[in-house]
Amino acid sequence: MESKESQFALPVDSEHKATVFHPFSLAAPHMRAFHLAWLSLFATFFSTFAIPPLLPIIREDLKLTDTDIGNAGIASFMGSIFSRLAMGTACDVFGPRIASATLSLLTVPIVFSACFISTPQSFIVLRFLIGFSLANFISNQFWMSSMFSGCVVGLANGVAAGWANVGAGATQLIMPLIFAFITSFNVPAFTAWRVAFVVPALFQAVTALMVLFYGQDLPDGNYKRRQRSSTKPRESVFKVLLHGLSNYRGWVLGLTYGYCFGVELTVDNIIAQYFYDRFNLNIETAGAIAASFGVVNFFSRPAGGVISDEMGRRFGIRGRLWSLWIVQTVAGLLCILLGRVNTLGASILVICAFSVFVQAASGLTFGVVPFVSKRSLGVISGMTGSGGTVGAVVTQLLLFSGSKYSKETSISLMGVMMIICSTPITFIYFPQWGGMFCGPSYDSDWVDEEYRLIE
Amino acid sequence: MATRAFLVTSLLLSCLLQICSGAYFSSLQRTLIVTASPKAGEVLKSGEDKITVTWGLNQSYPAGTDSAYKTVKVKLCYAPISQVDRAWRKTVDQLTKDKTCQHMIVSQPYKASNNSVEWTIEKDVPTATYFIRTYAYDAEGQEVAYGQTTDAHKTTNLFGIEAITGRHASLDIAAICFSAFSVISLFGFFLVEKRKTRVAK
Repeated sequence: MESKESQFALPVDSEHKATVFHPFSLAAPHMRAFHLAWLSLFATFFSTFAIPPLLPIIREDLKLTDTDIGNAGIASFMGSIFSRLAMGTACDVFGPRIASATLSLLTVPIVFSACFISTPQSFIVLRFLIGFSLANFISNQFWMSSMFSGCVVGLANGVAAGWANVGAGATQLIMPLIFAFITSFNVPAFTAWRVAFVVPALFQAVTALMVLFYGQDLPDGNYKRRQRSSTKPRESVFKVLLHGLSNYRGWVLGLTYGYCFGVELTVDNIIAQYFYDRFNLNIETAGAIAASFGVVNFFSRPAGGVISDEMGRRFGIRGRLWSLWIVQTVAGLLCILLGRVNTLGASILVICAFSVFVQAASGLTFGVVPFVSKRSLGVISGMTGSGGTVGAVVTQLLLFSGSKYSKETSISLMGVMMIICSTPITFIYFPQWGGMFCGPSYDSDWVDEEYRLIE
Repeated sequence: MATRAFLVTSLLLSCLLQICSGAYFSSLQRTLIVTASPKAGEVLKSGEDKITVTWGLNQSYPAGTDSAYKTVKVKLCYAPISQVDRAWRKTVDQLTKDKTCQHMIVSQPYKASNNSVEWTIEKDVPTATYFIRTYAYDAEGQEVAYGQTTDAHKTTNLFGIEAITGRHASLDIAAICFSAFSVISLFGFFLVEKRKTRVAK
């Protein structure tokens, strides 16, 4: 009988998950799923962060105050805190394909409503509702974990998330260019920004439809009902949830992610306005600089994953923890510096360096996540992912709402918070592998299955 | 000899610094008289209404006060009430950093009297409360004097401008159509899938 494995373009394991990762191939179903996943998540980041680069125009048209802008920035992440937690269950029940496409398509009308809004309150509601679509990060990672085997899943997850995050940067460059193009037809500025929003909305709709028509949930087909492998014992959802929530490492990683990815989200929100206001740049130049922060994700987040894997190979979990702590602390120092430099040239240099380190830290965080718990991996991923958006909300609330601190002081304070919130990494300890300062306390050839049952 | 050279250098340096850091508003003399057509409390529409501004040297100042004035710029400036909670419109004494006056009405060579301009309010002027200020510049392009339609505390003789609405009927319709399309296509997909599974069964 011909082996089922041979029908796939890529080499696969016993579950038909791909064991290699070829990002420049479109082979169905694995690489095609990868491209659909990162592209549709890219579109949601593109829509969510399409507003910040155009804020200098929007704030005048909608009569916004600094308080309104700050509240809207916070609102933009609040929705995604809950939607990210819910998305994990939705993927389990409906499959990542339907869950992500449904969320994207239902959020498209929200993006289009940028054409109608005219008050600060409606602006805040708009940002809140668009933010829900960021939950597609969870379906993206879930889909990659379903398609790629353990030996490449870290890389697949890192590249899928990194390339998608580039959307937050690309939009800061592209939206001002679209706006400039529209105003060149003598359309008034207050209308031109609204017309510009048709682009991210349509892009999001098209990618979501592509996911529905060309994607499939699993290497063997789509979800019909929850497939349970007979080798794994059945677990109650509640027990799995409780087990994950009671693991302190999940909370520490959530806090860590809140101060690398959360800071990245916050910077995406404030940086274009910061450069526009502080250095008197025009909207396209401020957008281009803001974009350079986001597009670096193309390699810096995957690089974080690769570094984590390499350090893990050489030094075990200790290497992964040390590299995470070092990279995030350096990122914090660069953030402090960013608020202190007074010239445009130095600011651009610092922000480029800062972007590499903060995004690598995000990749490094998800290099530790799979080791925390095998039984409650989904819950730990959800806690970490949500922690990212909680960090963004808290940072924006404390530092970037209203006019209490100048923006440059707030940026430096954010760097201080990053350094403080990465010190708990030093407390993470795995009895069988050790921690940053202590060696393992169990026998080093602990059987994987026994670990799995306990953790 | 050395001390003289030192003095000259330090004088040059301080002049250079002054030019580099720009003039300070508190150091400017209010030697120009500026009047504008909007009455106090009047609200004008951007894109439609016109503002007429006239300005000239205040004759009560000694002759020769305006010897350095080469060009003037007339600007539309935000009143304090429109600057509250909006750091991007903040008033700062150092004029290179000051954001009070962001809309240029006209820029022309200086004349002591008979200056007048009629300006149609541009469509990108936002809804806010305003006054008008005229800056006089020297040959190096540095502010040396000013005049404004309001008092020193910017409380009197302020007027409002109402911006155009950015909304457009055709844009609203296009947005509704595309939104409906995306939601309908989602439910259409579910219907097709259900029909496929029913046929397969």
